[in-house]
Amino acid sequence: MNSPAHNRSEQIAIDASAKWPVLLFFGSALFWLLLGGVMQLAAAMQLHQPGFLAGCEWVTHGRLAPAAQNALVYGWGMNAAFAFGLWLMARLSVTTLRHGGWLFVAVKFWNLGVALGVLGIMGGYSTSFELLEMPRFVSLLLLASYALIGVWAVTTFSIRNTENVYASQWYLLGAAFWFPWLYGIAQVMLFKAPVRGVLQPVVNAWYAHGLHNLWFVPFALAAAYYFLPKILGKPIANYYLAALAFWWLAVTTAFAGGSRLIGAPVPVWIPTLGIVANMLVVVGVVIVALNLFGTLSGRLEAVKGSLTLRFILLSLVGFVLAAGMNLALSLRGFAAVAQFTVLDSLRDWLTFYACFSTAMFGAAYFFLPRLTGREWRSPLLIRLHFGATALGVLLLVVGLGCAGWQQGHLLNDAGVPFVEITRAMSFWFAFRTVVLGLLLLGHVAFLINFVWIACPISSQGTAAAVFRAPPHLSIEAHAPAGHSLKGVGP
Amino acid sequence: MKNGLALFLGVLATLALSWVGLLLTAHRQIGSLGQFKDPTDEILYPQPLSGLADQGRLVYQDLGCVTCHTQQVRHEGFGSDLARKWGERGGYARDYIRDQTVLIGQNRLGPDLRNVGARIPDADYFYKLLYAPESRFAGAPIAHGMPAHRFLFDVRPLAGRQPSAHALPLAGPDAPGPGVEVIPTARAVALVAYLQGLKDTYDYPIERSRNTPAPKEGGH
Repeated sequence: MNSPAHNRSEQIAIDASAKWPVLLFFGSALFWLLLGGVMQLAAAMQLHQPGFLAGCEWVTHGRLAPAAQNALVYGWGMNAAFAFGLWLMARLSVTTLRHGGWLFVAVKFWNLGVALGVLGIMGGYSTSFELLEMPRFVSLLLLASYALIGVWAVTTFSIRNTENVYASQWYLLGAAFWFPWLYGIAQVMLFKAPVRGVLQPVVNAWYAHGLHNLWFVPFALAAAYYFLPKILGKPIANYYLAALAFWWLAVTTAFAGGSRLIGAPVPVWIPTLGIVANMLVVVGVVIVALNLFGTLSGRLEAVKGSLTLRFILLSLVGFVLAAGMNLALSLRGFAAVAQFTVLDSLRDWLTFYACFSTAMFGAAYFFLPRLTGREWRSPLLIRLHFGATALGVLLLVVGLGCAGWQQGHLLNDAGVPFVEITRAMSFWFAFRTVVLGLLLLGHVAFLINFVWIACPISSQGTAAAVFRAPPHLSIEAHAPAGHSLKGVGP
Repeated sequence: MKNGLALFLGVLATLALSWVGLLLTAHRQIGSLGQFKDPTDEILYPQPLSGLADQGRLVYQDLGCVTCHTQQVRHEGFGSDLARKWGERGGYARDYIRDQTVLIGQNRLGPDLRNVGARIPDADYFYKLLYAPESRFAGAPIAHGMPAHRFLFDVRPLAGRQPSAHALPLAGPDAPGPGVEVIPTARAVALVAYLQGLKDTYDYPIERSRNTPAPKEGGH
């Protein structure tokens, strides 16, 4: 019904309405990515240099590490998800983002909440519950600002001008409702009316697993389902299976949190249910892989040419690896070695960084030029960012995999004194610091490019977000080739 | 999928299912688990923490000890927690009902602390661990890689007074020098009281039978 030209002008109107809210969210996200990254680097350094920053209570390892984690998850992760989610929801619903002024209020209060939370952890008000360490009063601020943000995503969806609801929209809408529920319930059951005894770790595991797999993963998948057909100009392979994958993943991952409690002093059905759920998740992952890798098959040349697709491919690999890690940690034999080691901590990092964050980088390389109407300025920095990210993910997966395996075997050998284990791990901790530094370097490169493209007074850039720009991938000619095809978003 | 309402309801239903199926069911099952009265000595177990130890729990929480330490002893046949003498038995859910916040942890960059009070009765060990973790206690190295928590201590000049009875007995490179003493602050005292109070030494007769794994088939 829409001619490509009409379509393009519609997209320009949508992008214009989303420009400032999205830029603000993404700008704050990058601020936290850098700050959190520096804190994470310092905390990682403390593990092999215990004297580093040990004298100051605010940055003792027990506070700095969770503060960094919270800055990254709630500062970078959530802000980036908001930026990408609002933009994509407006685009897929073919409607402008209305009343964006409220989003300016929301972005300020959200970031104020994160700042207070991170400072609260460092100042000694941590609750010590994983990913819920922020002091209690901050949660109200975060929930209230989230309500302001989520409401625009849902409103935008409800005034959509499309007949079909596309796969990316399911994931976005699902995540929009899952997060406040997960967060609200965790707050009530842990702090407002705390449950007793080991139920607290159960609630915590349910929340931590939900936050990663029902909030961050859906955003990564929404990005993949959107960008693959759009940039490749072909529909999703076996699209009819996508709905099954969505519901399958939603139901099974919601139950999988118990798998984090294998061997813990909880009723044994809780981890068992989680183990079963994690095995069932595999079916959903296979369908998603059929959809997405099926779409990619035979088109790897195009992936090489598009920066966004390179990151999306990285994110898909991260998605599969994270699912594999969840499954492996559910197997008792593997868990008996890997539990409580750095390999265990790789699980959430894979979801959060390798799957989600890379997808957001890819998305940003697509939407930022379209929102600002400029090109990326430095191809060198783009290359640096992608190279550092890809290499960093590879090194960290391999390195922490080896490290965790060694640590687990040493832990299980009661003859090895504990002091010897931490000595043996020193090398790997130093290795991790180096890799985190490499990732941070990539982030700095990205930030510089972002400032160039987003800052209203800087001059026009020249680098397209494609390495060898085929003519049909430039901005102006970027009509969605397969718009009328099933499985391609508008 | 075309129907937004169905999508919305489905999305809510999926999480509601896991909330009811996991959290509420678990709450129904063990949410009202109570203390156990020992038939012989008529004492209720687990015994509550002392007031000072409970303050120490708050210090444990605010310093983020859970970042590197677990508080859970896994049962025989899964890991080597018992072989490492981190407990005399695997943990039961009932052990934790005395704790206001249950921090079982998920990282063992440091050793498990669930029974550290039973393992190490000496308060001086903990003070030394917090002040100078790389030093030695009774000839053996205390820890490697743990950051010092010197901010939990006051270093003050003697100024001709007798040294305090609470001053840390430090020697070697960690000693503060002549005429100066190191005194634990109230927070350090509370934290050490908490660590000393961490012990699940009572074995519940009702739990023992419930938590023993069934004998392997074919085994004798």
